[in-house]
Amino acid sequence: MKNKKVQIPQIIICIYLLILLVVVNVIGIPIVGIINESFIKWAMNGVLVLSLVPMINVGAGMNFGMPIGISAGLIGLCIAIELRLQGVIGFITAMIVGSLIAIVFGLCYSKILNRLKGKEEIIGTFAGFSFIPIMNFFWTLVPFKNRQMLYPVGGKGLRPKISLKNYFEGILDNSLVVKIGEFQIPVALILFFLILCFLIQYLYRTRVGHVMTAVSENEKFAQISGVNINKYRTKGIILSTILAAIGICVYSQSYGFVELYDGPFMMAFPAVSAILIGGASSKSATVKQVLIGTYLLQTTYLLSIPVANAILVPEITEVLRMIITNGIILYAFLYKGGSKKYGKI
Amino acid sequence: MKKRLMVLLLALAMTFNLAACAGEPKKEEVAEVPASGEVIKETEAPSYKIGIITPTLSSSEDEFRAGDNMVKKYPGIVKHLTFPENVNAEMETALSQIVSLADDPDMKAIIIASGGSGYLPGLQKVKEKRPDIITITAPIWDDPELMAKYVDINLDTDWARRGVTIVEKAHDMGAKTFIHYSFPTHLAKEVISLRKDTMKETAEKLGMEFVEVVTPDPQTGDGTAPMLQFLREDVPRQIEKYGPDTNIFGSNCPMYDVILDEALKLKFLVAEQCCPTPTQAYPTVMGLEIAEEDSANFDKINAMISEKAKEAGMTGRLSGWPMPVTIFLPEYAVELAKYAIDNNSNLKEDVLNKEFLDKFAKDTFGVGVDFQSYQQKDNYYMMIMESIFY
Repeated sequence: MKNKKVQIPQIIICIYLLILLVVVNVIGIPIVGIINESFIKWAMNGVLVLSLVPMINVGAGMNFGMPIGISAGLIGLCIAIELRLQGVIGFITAMIVGSLIAIVFGLCYSKILNRLKGKEEIIGTFAGFSFIPIMNFFWTLVPFKNRQMLYPVGGKGLRPKISLKNYFEGILDNSLVVKIGEFQIPVALILFFLILCFLIQYLYRTRVGHVMTAVSENEKFAQISGVNINKYRTKGIILSTILAAIGICVYSQSYGFVELYDGPFMMAFPAVSAILIGGASSKSATVKQVLIGTYLLQTTYLLSIPVANAILVPEITEVLRMIITNGIILYAFLYKGGSKKYGKI
Repeated sequence: MKKRLMVLLLALAMTFNLAACAGEPKKEEVAEVPASGEVIKETEAPSYKIGIITPTLSSSEDEFRAGDNMVKKYPGIVKHLTFPENVNAEMETALSQIVSLADDPDMKAIIIASGGSGYLPGLQKVKEKRPDIITITAPIWDDPELMAKYVDINLDTDWARRGVTIVEKAHDMGAKTFIHYSFPTHLAKEVISLRKDTMKETAEKLGMEFVEVVTPDPQTGDGTAPMLQFLREDVPRQIEKYGPDTNIFGSNCPMYDVILDEALKLKFLVAEQCCPTPTQAYPTVMGLEIAEEDSANFDKINAMISEKAKEAGMTGRLSGWPMPVTIFLPEYAVELAKYAIDNNSNLKEDVLNKEFLDKFAKDTFGVGVDFQSYQQKDNYYMMIMESIFY
């Protein structure tokens, strides 16, 4: 596709990352541990970022309505826990059930978005936000019986956080870990992520994928060529929702908890930042951008907190860290947007 | 003209409604009087009511359940209302709810258990309207000076004193290092930063190392996930550095899901949660299966935690309070109000002194509680509960 060259945002973030790495080394935080963690963080958040791709590439914008797909995945996880399915079986059941529910949710979601073309991002944000209270009703009223997931005091309704320890915590993180010296590479986790990436990549080499890209690049033209636009948009949106459902399963097994209620509220935003840093626009995104963007953003987050804690006054660290990290991201985009639209800054 | 007529009609209809509402309880009263006159039965609802307002179930489980428990224990006496879900945005509604309780002529006591601020004007209004109503806060966090002036009884946890007690307890449990996790919006709160400073002082006095770590802020944007993710990464690093004889304290309740989970793996000490309770984090982390009938049975829950701690080889390395303070205080307030009304007590003389308050807690709940008056105010008491070691 188009954006082959390394763009300014990536360069700026890379420089920032390098500076952080140097500082980490100087302060004496074990760098190997940090690199090991960065692999996990990369893959655990990666699938959620990947879930943005299909929607962007059918011209439905960034999926700010990601909580919808996430909720589907959460239901899948809860059902697996309710049935007390452990290990691989539990994890696969969670993903399959989550995906099936995501198809239904995605269908409804696409109905809304297809009626309001051109405003998908803001509509998606609202759809996602308003979906959460509906799910809150569901979590409180659902008649599950596994007491490990019910409120301890009232005995009814699901807990805000459910531990996966007895089920499939770290099922991907901890299986097939290859140790090279001190480095630990979670092969299963990364492989799972890369296979999903490959499948999406492959999709865009098929006829369906080509049509989807055409829809996002020039909707009018695609329509004149006899493409049923809404059909392809629906497909893209459902695919995004399914990937979000799978994404939360991967995220949760790594995180160790299933976070219900307001948990999914803000999850779309870091994902969108990641894909933007990777160099995607709201009209086109590639798998490569997902891989690069997620790694850069998550590692920046991973490094900046210990560094800030070590070299700054404790009270002010978090404030400064937010200003610097978000400021750099903003600067990176300003630089890109500025040079494109208004000449050089 | 038509519009005006409509408005007038509507207004009339509404006044009738109001009148009808106000009229109803009187009828009940009339109906009740001969009944209680004829046969005096213990089970019959007495002619007074106690109102309690708590947050909703989804915003704070404990206080809500406490209110609910009291309704079940004293049906017909306790009336339980909930504040709007997003109280800060709908303070007016919250205040009118408080005042509306005083409309009932049978209302004898109003209790607010919320852990928020801005409710004081409501209680002031109640007092203006009905000076006979006993008002209790359990707790609210408005200006203590004004609360002491306008509210009959103020109860709260002694957050600042815990700065001393938690560190001392950790020291007794064998901690050599004390790690304090917090974030900017919390450290900006006076109570929390005061407690942190007290902790630091106490730790230095006891010869422990005090480490302060700042986490991503859960209240500015992305929610609790980045904070917890950071704890997942940082706690093992810190324990590797300082060894397992380290006590970890976090200023925010959700942190304990991760802190306790890591504690079971890395065997460090957790002397007390920020809001010490067996019902938070422990059931999640330990995967406790609490049967529905045991849901308010704290002895049983504590026993289950002890057992799981033993399995993990953590006996004596985890501690907390035997029951959640967010359930204790609202229920205590209701019991206290009921006692005062039943015995027609003089609040200042009979109730508001340390001896009575401590004894009343022991008698009604069976837990040792240490009340101390806040800045010598005679109606503002702060408490610390006895510890339980798992």
